[in-house]
Amino acid sequence: MKKFYILVLMLLVSLSALAQNGRSLYNKYSDLPDVEAVYISPAMFRLIGKIPDVEMQDGSVNFGPIIKSLSGLYILNIPKSEAAAQLADEVNHFVTKGHYELLMEAKDNGEVMRMYTVGDDKIVNSLVMLSRDASETSFICLDGTMPREQLEALIAEAAKE
Amino acid sequence: MRKLDEISRLSASDLERISLDEKIPVPEELASRIDSVTRSQSRHILWSIPVAAALAALVAVGIGLTRDSEPADTFDDPYLAYAQVEAVFAKISDTVAYGAGKIEDTETRIDKISYWK
Repeated sequence: MKKFYILVLMLLVSLSALAQNGRSLYNKYSDLPDVEAVYISPAMFRLIGKIPDVEMQDGSVNFGPIIKSLSGLYILNIPKSEAAAQLADEVNHFVTKGHYELLMEAKDNGEVMRMYTVGDDKIVNSLVMLSRDASETSFICLDGTMPREQLEALIAEAAKE
Repeated sequence: MRKLDEISRLSASDLERISLDEKIPVPEELASRIDSVTRSQSRHILWSIPVAAALAALVAVGIGLTRDSEPADTFDDPYLAYAQVEAVFAKISDTVAYGAGKIEDTETRIDKISYWK
């Protein structure tokens, strides 16, 4: 009988692991103490899209087309703790299971930053950034139907600044 | 009558010797009692499986609803929300710029090495 219960428990754990995404991670960690959490909904993105001339402060980068294609932004900042390590593990698990592609990885003085995307040649459905250093773990997840070309151009243009 | 801990200390050969000792009486109803206990346990298992499965399904649905429920918006003001989106893109761009900078440094070093060779 014990074996049966263990089997059911394992089934539940694996089911919950398979269903992970930016939202489920946000819901899991956002209410923990000392966690900084930000969520922007699709409705809010629609409102942002109505702001005239959505541009960077210096006017050099146009965010407009990308903003209109976003459907959710999830941010979690967790100070070094067991929860922070668990979040990093879960993000690694969900990007692997979700067939995310590693866009880039940067390491500097113990800080590790990784960026992943999932989608096809034309559309990016989700962009995930995970950065960890000695004091903090940060998770950013942008969901939507972002035109890949525009997103890459935007990042490249902003990176020149 | 032996106590359980005494029995647990006995070796296999001791147990075999005791079981073959015909002087020790075996209660007549022992076989029927073992049979009834086994039957009630198997009935208990049969009854528990659907209950456990139903509980598991309920827990799974509960977990699914909690995990996928829409969180509350952090900002009421779209300008503040936009400022946050801008900060996120700035962070992403900084990361990309850092990576690109490292590549440039490496290329410069490779060029220098190639020049002196």
